[in-house]
Amino acid sequence: MRAVKSQTLYWMAITFVLFPVLILLGIYMRSVQAGALPALEGWFYPMMTLHGVGMVGVWYVAAVACAANVLAKYAAPSPAIGRLAIAGTVVGVLLLLACVFLGRFAAGWYFLYPLPFKGEWPAWSAVVFLVSLTVLGATWLVWSLDLLRAIAARYSLGQALGWHYLAGRSDPVLPPAVLIITVSLIASVAALVAGVIMLVLFYLELATGAPNDALLMKNLIFFFGHTLVNLALYLGVALAYEVLPEYAGRPWKTNKVVVISWNAVLAIVLVAYFHHLYMDVVQPGVLLYIGQVASYASAIPAAVVTIFGALLLVYRARMRWNLASILFFLGLAGWAIGGVGAVIDSTISANVRLHNTLWVPAHFHTYMVAGLVFLVVAYFYHVCQEAAAAPERTGYQKLLATLMVLGAYGFFLMFYLSGAYSVPRRFAAYPAELAHGAIYSGIAAAFAALFLLGFVLYLVETGKRWRRALAHAS
Amino acid sequence: MRPEPRRALVALAMLTLALAAPCAVPAAADGVSRAESRLVDRAVPDIPLRLADGRTTRLAALAGDRPLLVAFFYRRCAGVCTPLLEWVRDAVREVGGLGADYRVLALSFDDADTVADLRAQARAIGVLGSPHWSFAIAERDAVAQVAGAVDFWYRRDPATGQYDHPALVLALDRGRVVRAMLGAPGGSDRFRELVWELRGAFIPFYRVPGQTPLACIAFDPRTGATRLDWGLALLALPALAAVGAALVTFAGAGRHRRAA
Repeated sequence: MRAVKSQTLYWMAITFVLFPVLILLGIYMRSVQAGALPALEGWFYPMMTLHGVGMVGVWYVAAVACAANVLAKYAAPSPAIGRLAIAGTVVGVLLLLACVFLGRFAAGWYFLYPLPFKGEWPAWSAVVFLVSLTVLGATWLVWSLDLLRAIAARYSLGQALGWHYLAGRSDPVLPPAVLIITVSLIASVAALVAGVIMLVLFYLELATGAPNDALLMKNLIFFFGHTLVNLALYLGVALAYEVLPEYAGRPWKTNKVVVISWNAVLAIVLVAYFHHLYMDVVQPGVLLYIGQVASYASAIPAAVVTIFGALLLVYRARMRWNLASILFFLGLAGWAIGGVGAVIDSTISANVRLHNTLWVPAHFHTYMVAGLVFLVVAYFYHVCQEAAAAPERTGYQKLLATLMVLGAYGFFLMFYLSGAYSVPRRFAAYPAELAHGAIYSGIAAAFAALFLLGFVLYLVETGKRWRRALAHAS
Repeated sequence: MRPEPRRALVALAMLTLALAAPCAVPAAADGVSRAESRLVDRAVPDIPLRLADGRTTRLAALAGDRPLLVAFFYRRCAGVCTPLLEWVRDAVREVGGLGADYRVLALSFDDADTVADLRAQARAIGVLGSPHWSFAIAERDAVAQVAGAVDFWYRRDPATGQYDHPALVLALDRGRVVRAMLGAPGGSDRFRELVWELRGAFIPFYRVPGQTPLACIAFDPRTGATRLDWGLALLALPALAAVGAALVTFAGAGRHRRAA
């Protein structure tokens, strides 16, 4: 039996409460698009905003919380900063709920400038939304810096980035998870600073009336948002590097290839977001090409090396399959599958056709849900099971994993088909010429409900272990 | 509740109110833009047209598979109509793409106009014979259908014989409005942006602020040229800050490690 840090368990509880609620909002949106809830259509865009910001935020903090728990094996993150992160996140979420439910703020999770100031919602709700992001961003920035400090207390910067492996040395031993977490945290600081600059510009406009440059704001928003989502995924992958070897009975060590690939990610991830600006005529062409090349390049070091490594790890190993190892493996697969969709979308010639279609939510739902969510819930189950040492029901676990996979991929497929057939995104209701979009939406809602059922079964299985783990928490 | 959290809440509420006060200012300045944006995606009826060369066709057939720029006018107008058409002509010449990317239709809403009036108007602005410009008249009811679809109004003053009407230019694609411009000629940059959009570039249809103290990349709608601006430095700042934070954090911890 291995004790879990109580803060990790609190983060789990927050995730377990918020995720099903946010899934319900997703089902609501697809039902509205299917024409099943005409009386509630007016709430579509506020709920789209809450669903988007909520999902991105919840899974980012869940991934960082897991990374902090992994780091605790090798370093000593500050418990006080950990508590601050929980408190700041709760306050930020409450402010977000207030602006959406009381103010009907509905600028979407991208909240592209100048939309927050142009909507039909009251001015105060836009301000509360920005204050919510400020609280969340500032808290997470402090948290990221503290985790970096904890790593720095044990490793030099060169060691934490594995540069000594490039010189042929392996002392001190650097777990690949620590390497990936270091890379992700440094890039997180960049993303969060971009968010801070963007928020300062929003506040300056509010305070002085001096307008902002729309293209600069769009660049900053995607530097912040896109990079943060990418990094959450990388943190999820770090969990697989850390835990999957325990189930395979083999080590997954840092080597030159791993070091080169993840160091490359540090540079690539900061410019990949340019692929969100293909449609902006003013953005110089060279930046757009950098965006496409970086999007392609990011797939090689991170995904190919990791997927290849994971396959070698599992191949002919005496693998112990349980809910954690199954979900880790599925999570890596989902990350790769979603990545293929993302690479297609990041191709300029394809993006011209796909950009404003449901192909975009298709690929990001794939790598968020089938990638990041699977990886994080696998880790959650793993640490709870380690603490509880409860007997495992193999059949039940396979059933719930099957339900989640079927529900998730059926749900994604409806997005992909809609995108391929030119159904636009961000439409609450489809006009007659897009009636096929409503059909896909209805089927997608059913698949999402199936996924939710699987997740509820997961909660039952993990919840029991979570309670025991809490009783023995350190 | 302890005093500190209460004070923090009060401060947060005051900050919210203080920031919310000027928030309405930019939205109020965009009345015209909102009127234009209401027209976006409106379907325009496919009416029969009679052209300056005497041929008859339909609106959809005239557009073919390309976008169509539509300007409303009437020949005897002593006001905005001829300046409006000249404005369209000049902007189209500057931006380019006419014929390859889109066509222009000048549609008369005066049922007194004749085919000869159409030719005279085309000659007056120097586009007579251009294969990519069309001048057309239509039946009164048909014009009224189009006008009704896009909120274009016109009233004849019996005393002068002149029409009271706004200046409206529409960009149509596959029978729907993709952009509308209301108002007299003058601020031609917005019109040029409209033509860029017809050429396939993405231009936000809402009005974006013009005078920004910190721009990222400046765009000249006249030439399509872009120029890097100081705001771009803000995009490099996060990466520099991250590298700086990492160096400082690890250097500080390194000193502690060595001291220990």
